[in-house]
Amino acid sequence: MYQQLIDWFVNVLRAPLAGLRGADPVLGLALVVLAALVLASALHRRLRLPRLLGYLLVGAIASPALLGLLQRTDIDPWKPLIDLAVAALVFELGTRLRPRWLVDNPWLAACSALEAAAAGGAVWLALVALGAPSPSAAAAAALAAATSPVITMATFLEARPRGQVAERLLMLSAINSALAILAVKLWPVLAHTKGLSGPDPLALLANASIVIFGSLLLGLACGVLIDRLGRLHDEPATMPVLQLALVILAALLAIAWGLSPFIALLVAGMTARSRMRHRLMVQPYLGSAGAALTVMLFVSFGVLSTLQDWRALWPWVLAIVLARLIGKGIAIFATARPSGLSWRQATALTLALQPMSSLSVLLVADSFGWRTQLPGAEPAVIQALLIATTLMQLSGPLWTLWPLRRIVDETGDDDDNPVER
Amino acid sequence: MTTTRSNASTMALEAFTSSQPLTLGVELELQLLDTHDFDLTPRSEDLLRELVGHSGAWDVKPEITRSMIEIGTSIQRAFAPLRDELRDLRAQMSRAARKLNIAISGGGTHAYQHWSEQRIFPTERFRYISELYGYLAKQFTVFGQHVHVGVANGDEALWLLHALSRYVPHFIALAASSPYVQGVDTGFHSARLNSVFAFPLSGRAPFVLTWDAFGQFFDKMTSTGVVQSMKDFYWDIRPKPEYGTIELRVCDTPLQVDKAAALACYLQSLCRHLREERPFEPAEDDYLVYTFNRFQACRFGLDGEIVDPKTKQRSKLRDDIIRTLARIEPHALDLQALDACNLVRESLTEGNDATWLRQQRREHPPMAALVETAAARWMT
Repeated sequence: MYQQLIDWFVNVLRAPLAGLRGADPVLGLALVVLAALVLASALHRRLRLPRLLGYLLVGAIASPALLGLLQRTDIDPWKPLIDLAVAALVFELGTRLRPRWLVDNPWLAACSALEAAAAGGAVWLALVALGAPSPSAAAAAALAAATSPVITMATFLEARPRGQVAERLLMLSAINSALAILAVKLWPVLAHTKGLSGPDPLALLANASIVIFGSLLLGLACGVLIDRLGRLHDEPATMPVLQLALVILAALLAIAWGLSPFIALLVAGMTARSRMRHRLMVQPYLGSAGAALTVMLFVSFGVLSTLQDWRALWPWVLAIVLARLIGKGIAIFATARPSGLSWRQATALTLALQPMSSLSVLLVADSFGWRTQLPGAEPAVIQALLIATTLMQLSGPLWTLWPLRRIVDETGDDDDNPVER
Repeated sequence: MTTTRSNASTMALEAFTSSQPLTLGVELELQLLDTHDFDLTPRSEDLLRELVGHSGAWDVKPEITRSMIEIGTSIQRAFAPLRDELRDLRAQMSRAARKLNIAISGGGTHAYQHWSEQRIFPTERFRYISELYGYLAKQFTVFGQHVHVGVANGDEALWLLHALSRYVPHFIALAASSPYVQGVDTGFHSARLNSVFAFPLSGRAPFVLTWDAFGQFFDKMTSTGVVQSMKDFYWDIRPKPEYGTIELRVCDTPLQVDKAAALACYLQSLCRHLREERPFEPAEDDYLVYTFNRFQACRFGLDGEIVDPKTKQRSKLRDDIIRTLARIEPHALDLQALDACNLVRESLTEGNDATWLRQQRREHPPMAALVETAAARWMT
């Protein structure tokens, strides 16, 4: 009875949407984004849930994993726009980072390296213990070490937290994502030594070096250009346009040259901030156009959801999620006190670092297919990782916001103004 | 919830503790800043935790909102050790702040913070103040320097308190460092004191010259339920019986610790001059011009004009300070405070911190750059 009802509901929805897709893809997209905005607003008003959650849920409901209203290939044409939304958030993240903090607080630097290594190590151990092939487990571990910088940054922009945990969350998610990208680039070297297919390791190492240094140089150049052009074009109203144009340029060049857009844009943000200081005015999402693209980005994240084969793969999925939580927790608690964090803040930071990232693939792939990035990797391991990513991405805004709001009270929601009571 | 505490919990005025005359203690309220946008940031608990094991004799404690912190020196007698202790305190605090990715600054106000975004520090007293005063409590996110001077007994405390009243404009003008409020230039040198004036128990202490008479006043006030303890008075100068001091509260927090030490020792030398030479007897009529002189100092700083309560003559504040420095010089010599007086003299020509901030604003247009520059001045 229930199944019949669901099937009827799906068919009712599918028919008009399929028609709309056929008629005009932009219209279909606009409708999905509209639905996302309505749901996000309702969730935010009634349950005080982050808006991002609404966007993700609409995408997930429409995805092949649930109603199947949209296919993964349907969003391939949106990829340039989604890349731009990611690029804007990553650039903004870069402008928030102060690398000098890692020098002033070496324990924080140690924490950032340790938490990525511990999370990756724990995931690798858990997967190998459950029978996964070691090189494939290493690939999954490398990707699982990253915290989604996009979810982190977007939640940050929505909730505007102020405090130690929020600051460290931004820094650690940037570092662990950069390390994950590096690991993805170096993974074929490991695969080659284990007898899996792939080109010469030396060539791969050289390529990885080119990617890192090339991305750094591109980011530096972009940051310097924002500063120089900003001096020539000292008009506050159009500064976001200038920034957006240069961010698009840097992202496209990085993709065209096979570099890492994430590293390039992060460095561009840091360079622009360092050179321009307070002259650099960065609007959230680089302005209203960026904000609209961000809605589309999170809807797409939802559409990319997959739960395929979850019945067979759930032990590996659970192992990835738990091992990651434990690995990050151990590293953060081990360095908490010397780095200036209370136990409560360490708990909040551990939880806030849990959202997983498909970003390392998003910006370097031609399509949304992960497997093209990791040739030779065991498909079952990668599918388990994708399911874990789906779960930790959909619940990501809650993982980030709840500790900031409830454990360390950094969002200012607990009003202490008696006048307003 | 009622906003006044019950009469049953009120206390009688405590006995005045005797302390060694002319000893000094300095308290500074400081700004905690985000290193990204240099707005105030609610990180006092983090900084307090980081400073628990500090190696100095100084004290550090929370203030009413979480973006503020208060430090207090140990009891000092001379300029050099006071300045050295403040420098040590600054070094240790700055190190801890850098570790936490925050900046610390002096200055009487933050140039562009919004009072509604401030958050009350979670202690019983601060919550009580917040309940009682409402939004005024958050608007009280202003930063002052308080100087305690030791006195032998309560009668001497009250005599000195009233004798000092005519010099209050000196300290306001010399320490003024709060020209900007909510993102705009107020035109005042010390706009901070305008926030203090909003409190019903601010202003000047009642003109009584004996501790017994003050006790009677205190009993009358507590019987009304309006006050419970001496902490409820926000007077410009107030007696502090538990410490055995009088506390001057009109100074903005200077942008540098050396200046804070110099102001304290200028007060110390002035107090010695008044105690030992008794150049005049304080009178109720001294207060006829008190609020006018105070306004002139707040509004125009060292260029303000004050009226002498005895002669009714008008003079520039700057000139009055120069004359006072000359009169107290022998006492400064005896107290090893000549360097302090020289620093005060230099600031008469260079201008106060409010003037410096306005100069910086002309050179570094964004307000955030101004606050960052002020923080760098305090931390280095």
